[in-house]
Amino acid sequence: MTVIEIDGLAKSYRVYQKKEGIWPSIKGLFHREYRTVEAVRGIDLRVDRGEFVAFLGPNGAGKTTTLKLLSGVITPTSGTARVLGHVPWQRENAYRRRFALVMGQKNQLWWDLPANESFRLHQQIYRIERRQFERTRDELTSMLGVRELLSQPVRELSLGERMKMELIAALLHSPEVLFLDEPTIGLDVVAQYNVQNFLRHYQQTRQITILLTSHYMKDVAALCRRVVVISLGRIIYDGSLSGIIDRFGGHKVISLQMSNGQPPDVMARYGQVLAAEPPRIKLRVERSMVPQVLSAILAHCAVEDVSVEDPPLEQVIAEMFTHPNGPGGHADEGERPA
Amino acid sequence: MSRASRKLSAEVADSPESGESSKSLWGGHLEGGWSWQAFRSRAAIWWTILRISIEERLVYRGDFALGTLMRFLPIVTQIFLWGAVFSAIEATAGSSQVAGYSYRDFIAYYLLTMLSRAFSSMPGLASGIARSIRDGTVKKYLIQPVDMLGFLLLYRVAHKLVYYLVAAGPFALVFYLCRGFFPGWPDPLTLAAFVASLGMAFLLGFFLEATLGMIGFWFLEVSSLLFVYMLFSYFFSGHMFPIDMLPGILGTIVHALPLQYLAYFPSAVFLGKVTGPALAWGLATQLGWVVFFIVASRRTFHLGVRRYSGFGG
Amino acid sequence: MSDHPAYFRVLLLFARNSLVRDMTFRANFIIDTISSLAWMGINLAFYVLIFQYTPMLGAGTGWGKYEFFLFLSTTLLINSLVQTLFMANADEFSELIRTGALDFALLKPIDTQFLVSLQRIDWSSLGNLGFGLVLIVYAYSQLGYAPSPVAISLYLGYVLCGVAILYSLMITLAASSVWLGRNQTLYDFWFYITNFSRYPREIYRGKYGDPLRWFFTFLVPVLVVVNVPARFLVRSLRPQTLEDWFLPAFTLFAAVASLAVSRWIFNRALASYRSASS
Repeated sequence: MTVIEIDGLAKSYRVYQKKEGIWPSIKGLFHREYRTVEAVRGIDLRVDRGEFVAFLGPNGAGKTTTLKLLSGVITPTSGTARVLGHVPWQRENAYRRRFALVMGQKNQLWWDLPANESFRLHQQIYRIERRQFERTRDELTSMLGVRELLSQPVRELSLGERMKMELIAALLHSPEVLFLDEPTIGLDVVAQYNVQNFLRHYQQTRQITILLTSHYMKDVAALCRRVVVISLGRIIYDGSLSGIIDRFGGHKVISLQMSNGQPPDVMARYGQVLAAEPPRIKLRVERSMVPQVLSAILAHCAVEDVSVEDPPLEQVIAEMFTHPNGPGGHADEGERPA
Repeated sequence: MSRASRKLSAEVADSPESGESSKSLWGGHLEGGWSWQAFRSRAAIWWTILRISIEERLVYRGDFALGTLMRFLPIVTQIFLWGAVFSAIEATAGSSQVAGYSYRDFIAYYLLTMLSRAFSSMPGLASGIARSIRDGTVKKYLIQPVDMLGFLLLYRVAHKLVYYLVAAGPFALVFYLCRGFFPGWPDPLTLAAFVASLGMAFLLGFFLEATLGMIGFWFLEVSSLLFVYMLFSYFFSGHMFPIDMLPGILGTIVHALPLQYLAYFPSAVFLGKVTGPALAWGLATQLGWVVFFIVASRRTFHLGVRRYSGFGG
Repeated sequence: MSDHPAYFRVLLLFARNSLVRDMTFRANFIIDTISSLAWMGINLAFYVLIFQYTPMLGAGTGWGKYEFFLFLSTTLLINSLVQTLFMANADEFSELIRTGALDFALLKPIDTQFLVSLQRIDWSSLGNLGFGLVLIVYAYSQLGYAPSPVAISLYLGYVLCGVAILYSLMITLAASSVWLGRNQTLYDFWFYITNFSRYPREIYRGKYGDPLRWFFTFLVPVLVVVNVPARFLVRSLRPQTLEDWFLPAFTLFAAVASLAVSRWIFNRALASYRSASS
């Protein structure tokens, strides 16, 4: 069953251009110059129930904007979207009860109060029946290991604990669709791992639909089978994570351990030398050339050990965004202030 | 600042100047020394401070335009309030004076205190100093060859200049519209005394508030204390009403306080309420208070720094 | 299950959570309360001083010292209610817009204006309510009579109307920060505008006073906020002119109309926010 249907969704902003200097500031009093930023430029997407989809893309690519459009927080310039059959930006209560948005950079819990008080408020706002509320809360808090922190003011919690509480707040009303915007940002490795584990388990048991944006490839690798890559407001890839390497990783890395002190500069003719710490050496080789290069090296050099690997995913993706001829084009547009 | 003091500060404060000194300036870097090069770099810094102040003010045009306009609204209510008071006094007692002030004197007095407070009010100065002590930014003044009070004075002068630049128009307009309330231009001597008292009001306001800010070296939470000062100052500086209205012993006490020189004294000078030897004595006393608070702010700063470094910051 | 949340229970939770919060910062709470009271004390001192020199606020208006104290208490009651319920929220609103945290409010299946207007209740402002009540009792003891039950119920009703008008004005100002950028000076605007509401209408007389009174009665109706309820407390101020009879009816209309207008502006601001923020 299709849960999210997006067709030609686009969103542009007018941004006031502030100029440096006194005179331009004075002129700014009377006349302002605006620049149009096209954050999302026509996105088509179908997501089925129970899918866990990752949005990848550099800062300012339009990931967060897309999530906000789907949450109904902002209205699109053109295009249509339906989530669970609702048009998000109509903000019907019926829709708002069925999804949740978690933003890793912002918090919605009352800062000075125990998280439990914020949860109770959610219970009333979402009209969750009391017993069900308590059951859900206890289940979620024990799954995330924050049960004993419920009555501690949020400001005294660590970043990781706070994020877990934010997640619980978002899940109290058992949403069918969950939007996660960088849920693990700033967390340490352990907390990151815990949140990932929780999300995977929760999603699998409840079969809810999750859209996630993250900068951490580990999140994506651990959680999502389907990856949507957005660059400059457009979808440039939609498929599996490993497919990204097949499609965009145009080379492989050959690691060699030489038995004698073969000078690295000789190796340069086989491929680009990435690292040379004799007797170890790493070469970057065009994917299509790998068999030839490998047999040439083995024929001419004394090699003790050899391995052929895909380049790290982060690197492939970074190249995808920065490569001048690639689909990404550029990545220098900074993140707009939210 | 606590919530209540923020809530009430709009009523008590008298200047639409933003209370927060800009972070970029607190983080600014000043070199000491008096070589030619140092002078040039110093002049460049002054210019930068001035420019940033102006830009800061102009970025938020909506707030800025409304703020300058709204500033004059309370005067309108004062005009009608005192109009009503005087109408009742004239109807019953037949006299037309309150504490030696005619109706027109009253309005002129309020307008003049606004002018005086434009010089003497120092929004955010004491709280800024206290905050920089609390969050440790004050350390910079101990490490770098910069005199904190000198730097802050400079910054304040720049801010005030910008404010006058911006407020001159509205002020001129209001004073022109209200010219009927004034007895006319005073003689050159009185005018000179008025200008001198305004200049000293600025210095007094600065050093008095700076001294208060130094209390931050001894107490962490000074905002409530500052608020109490603000209330006192509002009442006893003559900002709320001419302090001659206060009866008996209260009047005597108020006349002995330095607060009257922040608002009441310059206005009274302009209106010719203080003349001859009293004027000379008043100006001398004002100067005395200025000197007193210059010394006090320096002393408290040095004592505070000693205490601060004693604790290891 | 109904589509709407239980608004009253949500409100109670807002009140409770705010109280819990205020109590965790007890020292601040006490300082806030005392500061507000001190400020009221200074204001009272000023009026006492004025009445040292004059028997009445405006010749023939009937606002003598203790009648004016009733007026002043009404100002206190209304302002303290508005500050307790809405002021912290209105102030927070521009912050929500600036930081983008308004997003969360938009997600909730609850009326956004309700959520934004009432989620923080500032209990420390309630101190002035007590001050106002004490002042009413004192003023009546000096005047030597008590108000009738009818007067009291009319009074309470019109106090609520006054609160509604001031709330509308406040939320309108706060919403304007969507277009004006930061709104740090909300409290200032607030003070400057409500400044006109804190004296009897009768003082605005003459060539300039009449249009001013008209403006702040009918266009920005802050002059009816305190004036209309306060007159019900003062026995000597029976309605005389046509205007005196007409104003209470107008005030009801003004309360409803300003609520409607402010809601419209609030929604416009939300729409702007929703199309401008990223």
